Amino acid sequence: MGEVIVVTSGKGGVGKTTTVANIGAGLAGLGHKVCLVDADIGLRNLDVVLGLENRIVYDITDVTAENCRLKQALIRDKRFNELLLLPAAQTKDKTAVSPEEMIKLCNELKEEFEFVIIDCPAGIELGFKNAVAGAESSIVLTTPEVSAVRDADRIIGLLEASEIFSPQLIINRLRPKMVRAGDMMGIEDIIDILAVDLLGVIPEDDQIVVTTNKGEPVVRDPRSMSGQAFRNTVKRLKGEEIPYMDLDESGFLTRLRKIFNRK
Amino acid sequence: MSQSKQEKSLVKFPGTGADDFEQYTDENTVLIQRTLRSGQTIRYNGNVVILGDVNPGAEVVAAGNCIVMGVLRGVVHAGASGNEDAAVIAFRLRPTQLRIANHITRAPEDENDTTFFPEIAKIKDGVVTIEMFSTFNDRQIRN
Ligand SMILES: Nc1ncnc2c1ncn2[C@@H]1O[C@H](COP(=O)(O)OP(=O)(O)OP(=O)(O)O)[C@@H](O)[C@H]1O
Ligand SMILES: [Mg+2]
Repeated sequence: MGEVIVVTSGKGGVGKTTTVANIGAGLAGLGHKVCLVDADIGLRNLDVVLGLENRIVYDITDVTAENCRLKQALIRDKRFNELLLLPAAQTKDKTAVSPEEMIKLCNELKEEFEFVIIDCPAGIELGFKNAVAGAESSIVLTTPEVSAVRDADRIIGLLEASEIFSPQLIINRLRPKMVRAGDMMGIEDIIDILAVDLLGVIPEDDQIVVTTNKGEPVVRDPRSMSGQAFRNTVKRLKGEEIPYMDLDESGFLTRLRKIFNRK
Repeated sequence: MSQSKQEKSLVKFPGTGADDFEQYTDENTVLIQRTLRSGQTIRYNGNVVILGDVNPGAEVVAAGNCIVMGVLRGVVHAGASGNEDAAVIAFRLRPTQLRIANHITRAPEDENDTTFFPEIAKIKDGVVTIEMFSTFNDRQIRN
């Protein structure tokens, strides 16, 4: 029986889809059976980021409306045999799926896969409720900005209300130089408010934009800093203790270590 | 992490020092044993004690006193139905806005987290004043 994990943030554009694609590809690269579910109905993206757009025949609403069988709608990744995608519908809106239907769908998927990872839409309305309905655990994403952290805090409260406890936090787009200069919130500042466990820190990296445009997850790029950060994050998700890497040589590591040891 | 913060405050509570708080709580007191996150509100027609933080974007409204055994960063309103004798006490008092009865104050713009001790806010001579909550602090040093 697999685990259903929702990736959510409240605020839009902080990197949910990027994270789902990379964690999914990272887990599949380690040999796990993974299904990614794009729950952002009407703003489908995950297929594009994975470079699978031209293979879509059926989508999630076809499955819930029973126009097709679940297996028919799943798209196999071209790089990883064990990575499958259930795409969102592009021509419908969030009301096309109900929370009950999502629960049923997730239960079916976790029979088959070790990890079912749901890409949640921005916001706290029906799209969010659908995305979390079938999940038992969560990854909350934020960037080091006051508004994103505020929204992440709100989301953690709403997840608790949906009985999804102890979310794991990923901080995306961190710029160590700016943190050092006091122009950006640091990791400690964020954890101080959110008080949740840290799963990963992904630096701001142009390579993410380059790879995303090619439909090629950065986690497969052996040279980039963000690729390494995602690979570490994937291992931590599996329960391994991976030290936080030095995102730049400035005593940053020592601060990270301090946080790590505090757990 | 907030968990350990809460536990720490709990062990300091019983025994000798508890009577410091007794003047701010009575039988009409509600105890909230968690952190209030953005978007969450507590409204109570009496005193409110929170064993956790009040995060930015969260709100506590109490007819009586409000005691936060953690960091108070959100909005707090004590004496909400007009009681000018109501007080706000917090381990770390950093509210976005603090109201007592119909007095409204906010943190100074050049916010520097300078205080690292418990504080109490009360109306004195018609002005909201903030002072160190000293008895509590003494006990903290002893621990
Ligand atoms: N660490 C990073 N460094 C640089 N660019 C990034 C990083 N993370 C994400 N991006 C870019 O930010 C943009 C938004 O990312 P993404 O689409 O993953 O966000 P999202 O949270 O899924 O957005 P939405 O709320 O609209 O679904 C993309 O263009 C992506 O390439
Ligand atoms: Mg997205």
